[in-house]
Amino acid sequence: MDNELSQLEAELKALRPVAPARHVQARIVRELGRGEGAARVTPSARAWWRWAAVLPAAAAVLILLVFFVRRVPPASVGENIAATTAPATGAMVREAESAPVFKPVSAENVLYAVADEGLVTLDDGTAARRERLSYVDTITWKNPRTNASVRWTMPREEVRVVPVKFQ
Amino acid sequence: MEDASHDDSWKTWFQLYGPKLLLCARQWTRSVADAEDVVQEAFVRFWRHQRELPGEPMALLITSVRRAACDLARRETRRVAREEWADGGIEDPAPVFQTSLEADDRREAVEAAMRRLPEEQREVLVLKIWAELTFEQIAGELEISPNTAASRYRYALAALRKELTAADCHG
Repeated sequence: MDNELSQLEAELKALRPVAPARHVQARIVRELGRGEGAARVTPSARAWWRWAAVLPAAAAVLILLVFFVRRVPPASVGENIAATTAPATGAMVREAESAPVFKPVSAENVLYAVADEGLVTLDDGTAARRERLSYVDTITWKNPRTNASVRWTMPREEVRVVPVKFQ
Repeated sequence: MEDASHDDSWKTWFQLYGPKLLLCARQWTRSVADAEDVVQEAFVRFWRHQRELPGEPMALLITSVRRAACDLARRETRRVAREEWADGGIEDPAPVFQTSLEADDRREAVEAAMRRLPEEQREVLVLKIWAELTFEQIAGELEISPNTAASRYRYALAALRKELTAADCHG
């Protein structure tokens, strides 16, 4: 890149983007303060039957993985003696090291359907538009020591109620 | 909110990343208000579910912003068909960068020149300069090759230089 472009690049880097308006921060405070089952993002009751199918399967996969990862080859007598005579802290460290540690490595949310359910009236009498969004969330966990991985895919529905203003 | 330190922690993050995220969101939305909605949604999603993930936080946040912008665009497309919503999109005249008294003309010239860039060049420029992503990260985000990302970046800089030089000559 020539010198002139480098100068322009430096000039652009010196420009500071405008910060979001203060009300955005206030809205984030409200959102983060709100529980997962808040009014804006409410898992639909209709999704529970799908959870009921997915959760036991995911739990079974996890238990199987934990079982296989924890299976340590039988140690020789000499090793057993060494292990029992080793200081307690060393044994604890080895135990901690052999425990399966799954860490989340990726999370993905795919929106596959949006349904507009039309206008509704809120408790305070204001009009709002209700939308139902259908997602598939996929979370991948990985054990860096064994490279074992678990992928957890689950459907999720959000119902959004957006106030409408008539001019 | 979990506790005071948690509260401070996300606010610190938001002060650090918020302006850059807003600038990126404005490349993919039709108005400042939409961009702010997108930043809010993406940041909350990131903070709740993704901040413990390994990797560059900015790259994860940008992915989250782009996805939220795409979701919004899909919803808006449906709404536009019903309500015949027409507006200027990226021509939103609100300033993109902080103003300063001594260099305001120059800032306006840069913003105007950026608005005239092709969209695919402008988004690469923004992701490289202000989001500070690498060409590899930009390529992953936009589903293009790193070479394409680098080329678009160079074209964008060259086009900006040409526009700004012309503006200097006439101004």
